[in-house]
Amino acid sequence: MSSRGAVVEFRDVTKRYGQVTAGPGAVDGLSFTVPAGEICVLVGPSGCGKTTSLKMTNRLIEPTSGEILIDGRDVLREDPVTLRRGIGYVIQQVGLFPHQTIADNIATVPRLLRWPEARIRARVGELIDLVGLDPAYAARYPAQLSGGERQRVGVARALAAEPPVMLMDEPFGAVDPIVRERLQDEFLRLHRRLGMTVLFVTHDIDEAIKMGDRVAVMRAGRLVQYATPAELLAEPADEFVARFVGADRGLKRLALIGVGELPLRDAAVVREGEPIAPGGGYVLLLDADRRPVGWVNRARPDLGPDPSSPIVTRETRVKDALSALLAYGVALAVVVDADGRCLGTIGLDDITGLLAAQA
Amino acid sequence: MTPGEPLIRWDWIVSHLDEVVLRLGEHLLLTGIAVSVGFVIAFALALLSLRWPWTYGPATWTTGVLYTIPSLALFALLIPFTGLTLLTAEIGLVGYTLLILLRNIVGGIRSVPADATEAATGMGYTAWQTLWRVQLPLALPVIIAGLRVATITTIGLVTVTALIGQGGLGYFILLGIQRFFSTPLLLGAFLSVALAVAADALLVLAQRALTPWTRSRA
Repeated sequence: MSSRGAVVEFRDVTKRYGQVTAGPGAVDGLSFTVPAGEICVLVGPSGCGKTTSLKMTNRLIEPTSGEILIDGRDVLREDPVTLRRGIGYVIQQVGLFPHQTIADNIATVPRLLRWPEARIRARVGELIDLVGLDPAYAARYPAQLSGGERQRVGVARALAAEPPVMLMDEPFGAVDPIVRERLQDEFLRLHRRLGMTVLFVTHDIDEAIKMGDRVAVMRAGRLVQYATPAELLAEPADEFVARFVGADRGLKRLALIGVGELPLRDAAVVREGEPIAPGGGYVLLLDADRRPVGWVNRARPDLGPDPSSPIVTRETRVKDALSALLAYGVALAVVVDADGRCLGTIGLDDITGLLAAQA
Repeated sequence: MTPGEPLIRWDWIVSHLDEVVLRLGEHLLLTGIAVSVGFVIAFALALLSLRWPWTYGPATWTTGVLYTIPSLALFALLIPFTGLTLLTAEIGLVGYTLLILLRNIVGGIRSVPADATEAATGMGYTAWQTLWRVQLPLALPVIIAGLRVATITTIGLVTVTALIGQGGLGYFILLGIQRFFSTPLLLGAFLSVALAVAADALLVLAQRALTPWTRSRA
């Protein structure tokens, strides 16, 4: 059931309201390409033209000039109604139809496409499951659901006909931060499974960095920078982007880097049962399978191994490793492989070195 | 009223049951035609107002003026042209339903949450599909509220059409006044009130049946 993504390309797209080129919501010469299956986040302050750009993709707003191509086909040459049925659309207020049950809401586009009723029923069941809702919700009305649940239904409804492109306008903006985080994680998992191309609008840079394979930073209708989140944080194109991503961009970047990208250090290790050479400092005690047991003080081997040390994998985000180091109050974390075998260590110094290098 | 005569002579009612049924039927028919025709015209005007918003002002102004003309005066004005006919009665009755129906249809559709219509358009509903599948169903409670007021008002007004010979329960009231006879007077008054209450209850039930979502809140 994986829907393959389509390439979305903006070519010199401009939208003017009246004669004014700037003005809120206007877009000026926007060009960028979203590779198939990626999430592209449009981010910027309000009035920067991000929502206008999104709505031009399904022609809720008509561009003044330029082309928007989906897999090479210009959307302006398509019939708007047919075009929209082939594009998933999620908005902040969700826009569920209050007079229809959850099942009927999700069935909206398949019904427009005249799928057989049996296929629609099967698809609705599949989607309710996919977005993690109780099957009993099918017969309920939107007013009976919580905000987060309604937002899940909104996503399910947009996914119903397996669109190759999805447009999401601040889809998680109306829920509280805890629910938002969960919905974001769920959506990322869903996206990995389904692989559609997503245009995602937000004003929240943290959300942009978390959700985006690429981030398009917009200001006053123009594209200021189009880059991966890591590039954006490492090398903001100008002062505006630097301010927009925030003074803590170094820390934010740590959330994007895996421990595996840091140089691993060899630890002084000793196997269980082997003699510990006397001297200063600590040595890492490993069991027969090379799994870490704890640190042993060479000067006082009689105290036994101290197990209080953070253990991370190559995939652990550096930000989380740093949090663990600070929480344990130690300078070294043990890096292990998937089976828990010791690969080496990383230190607080390596992380602060990374921060210094990018500042 | 003749002194010593009871307020209600039940034997008179029993002996006139056929007539009671006839007048009730006439009353219902006059009301039914007026509200149906009124609804069709108001609906057309509402569509016009949604398509070309500038037409809403003139439409409410015109129907507003119609609404303010006293019914007896309106019938008097029409009789030279259309005579003592059903048409005269219905022109007046329909005229009175228009303002309330137009306002409630347009108001109901305008009160539909913008996010629902935006989502509908964004997912590929045509404008017509959005109107029929999203806007009108969601406007139903307001539209039916308008229908209730229009129906009750019309049932009241139909009693007046007896004056131009179109029957209905007003016939009994007229009869009672002409003959100083309280039985038909009270019968006519009671039945028109009962009819109004019954029609209103029926519309409430219809709304409940048609809008199940309004009853299920979390």
